[in-house]
Amino acid sequence: MLAADVSGTPRVVATNAVAEENGVRIGETLADARAKTVDAGLQVRAADPAADDAALRDLALWATRYTPTVAVFDEKSGADGLFLDIAGAAHLFGGEEKLIADLEMRLARLGLPARSAVAATAGAAWAIARFNAAPRILAAGAERAALAPLPIEALRISGKTRQTLRRLGFRRIGALLDNPRAPFAARFERELLLRIDQALGCAPDPLVFILPPPIYHSLRYLLEPVAAQEAIVAIAQRLMRDIVHALTRDGVGARTLRLVLYRVDGGVKSLDIGLTRATRNAAHVARLIALKLERKAEMSDEMLDAGFGFEAVGLAVTATDRVEPGQSELIAGAAATDAGLDERCAELIDGLAQRLGPNSVQRLAPVASHLPERAETACAAECVSWPAADEARPRPLLLFARAEPAEVMAQVPEGPPRRFRWRGVLHGVANAQGPERIAGEWWRMGAATGAGVGASQPTRDYYLVEDEAGRRFWLYREGLYERETTAPRWFVHGLFA
Amino acid sequence: MLDGRISMSSSSLTILRSGARAATRVDRAAIVAELRRLLPRLESTAASARALPFGLTALDAHLPHGGLAIGALHEVVPQTHGDTPAAFGFLAALLARFAKDHARTNRPLLFVASHRALADHGRPHGHGLNRLGLDPARLILVETANEKQALWAIEEALRSGAPAAIGGAIAKLDLKTSQRLQLTAGEAGLPLLLLRPAKVAEASAAATRWRIVAAQAARDRFGLLARTRWNARLERCRNGRTGEWLVEFDHGAYRFSLAAALADPALSRGAGAMFRRAG
Repeated sequence: MLAADVSGTPRVVATNAVAEENGVRIGETLADARAKTVDAGLQVRAADPAADDAALRDLALWATRYTPTVAVFDEKSGADGLFLDIAGAAHLFGGEEKLIADLEMRLARLGLPARSAVAATAGAAWAIARFNAAPRILAAGAERAALAPLPIEALRISGKTRQTLRRLGFRRIGALLDNPRAPFAARFERELLLRIDQALGCAPDPLVFILPPPIYHSLRYLLEPVAAQEAIVAIAQRLMRDIVHALTRDGVGARTLRLVLYRVDGGVKSLDIGLTRATRNAAHVARLIALKLERKAEMSDEMLDAGFGFEAVGLAVTATDRVEPGQSELIAGAAATDAGLDERCAELIDGLAQRLGPNSVQRLAPVASHLPERAETACAAECVSWPAADEARPRPLLLFARAEPAEVMAQVPEGPPRRFRWRGVLHGVANAQGPERIAGEWWRMGAATGAGVGASQPTRDYYLVEDEAGRRFWLYREGLYERETTAPRWFVHGLFA
Repeated sequence: MLDGRISMSSSSLTILRSGARAATRVDRAAIVAELRRLLPRLESTAASARALPFGLTALDAHLPHGGLAIGALHEVVPQTHGDTPAAFGFLAALLARFAKDHARTNRPLLFVASHRALADHGRPHGHGLNRLGLDPARLILVETANEKQALWAIEEALRSGAPAAIGGAIAKLDLKTSQRLQLTAGEAGLPLLLLRPAKVAEASAAATRWRIVAAQAARDRFGLLARTRWNARLERCRNGRTGEWLVEFDHGAYRFSLAAALADPALSRGAGAMFRRAG
């Protein structure tokens, strides 16, 4: 039995079969429950709503084997069940009866007693499942007749509305349906009529699916559970081949894919794969999945924990992009043309990114900023054009993410350096070119720039310094002498070739 | 792969020898000429025979086929740890040259390194690469967790044949791995330039190994840096001769040149002193 504090008093929130036999009811106080079960030896555990939510979410993932569109009951619906949108999925299981039977059989095997119902609206299905009304599979249009005999609790309405309705003598939904709507609208929150309309299919009932609904989806049940990586990849390739027909028909290619693995014990693992370029190439997708699995194996991710094996594998295309007709098909045999190269290049980048992890494959993009550390950014996107190099303002080949402090001896405080010590080595300056003055970005003042004590960044004077060995450094003096500071600090910010 | 190649060369040698025995007195010079003709064919595939000249006759004369082989592994090694930026610059300039060779297809360049490889020297800076003629828009930086992954990524890139050229920074490279890379590069017909640490001593199958030392830059009459200079020693060169040059890079025309023999280091130092007084 589970108990939780409800407005200051510990109350029973969940019971098992034995407790129910002893007369323990949900909602009564813990003290009452104890009194009833003096002989039986009541075991009480604190309720853990967070763990319940997590378990329900896991179950929702598990249920995506029936349809990719699964929503969890929200707080108002009791947060103890799932909506499965099985439109277009039932025929895969041989009809709605068989789907429900299969669902209940598998849930029972997991030790979860469940009630289920099929209806044209989420509200009606919820009501029928909850109040065990017959028939369990409701034909479209029969909602009104089926709901009428059910108690008003079968509408997903709040406790307050429920109590008021009861006080007014409404016990059955039928009574609400028979009476004129206007008084209800005046008396109650919008919720009541909305729920009635939703249950009857007169108002839309937006479900929040746990996974974004895929555009294309293919799933395969396996006769024997598999655990080997090669087997998973082979199945994924077959699934992709199924999807490719639909992709070709619609003239699109997959940009992001999700591989979902259903474990025998009910666990679900999913793998998301993003591509730089839309593809319809099943072999390429299979290779990316293999690389990603390899990476997971290397990181000893629990992804690879197959338990007793996976009993079903699903592949979903979650984002698509247009593919020029005949792009890959025509070029395959021909000499390497530009388009073929682009494709090979995209495949290479995707492969590297899957194996090496996100952010490991990047391009540099210029940023319009005077501050060198802000003048470029790494991005995964396609190439952008760079401005031509400005020889009047040479930039180093290698830049430190964080400028390193150096001790500098200069003839005059505002002059170029004569000698500097950096990383414990003394360098004599043979030649200093500069200064190139870069002022702080005053429009960023006040923002946490990490520039130091002041709100504004001090001005920097950059020097391209060549030491006696011919090595080239990029040094800067922070702070204008006597105007911004009396003791300017020096930093090495980069290295020239 | 190596075994295969040895047996191949030895078998062709035996054929030659038996041929020499059959013809009682064959000119020794003719045999040598025949060997000269055969050896490069055994050494390299047709793709790797293509070469990209530096455009400097003195330097190109040392290299087989008058330039850097395109389908081959080349190593760039700094003299000391502190010369690493110079060596990286030389490598970037070479990469840019190879990229221009393939400019028509606008293929990308790859630079693969583990995140530790250049950690001591900061990150490659796009605006700085631009100065060496390497268009950062075409560069794809691949950063791996370790060297093993970096080697995998390099081979993967070579096999795909998609990039115009591949650069990398690899600290440990045994002979066998370098042979594999050299062969893969040859088959793909792609240049692979590897930045190696200063202390590298192990044998490798690379076509060339360049030892780079930073040298005082060429300056214009105002004492401003005009051309970056490196002392480039061709330490190893398969089927070629070693040599040492003071190489300049012109940041305006993006090309190599050889420093004038008369370039007087005292002059540039004098210019620097003048500039200091001015500053």
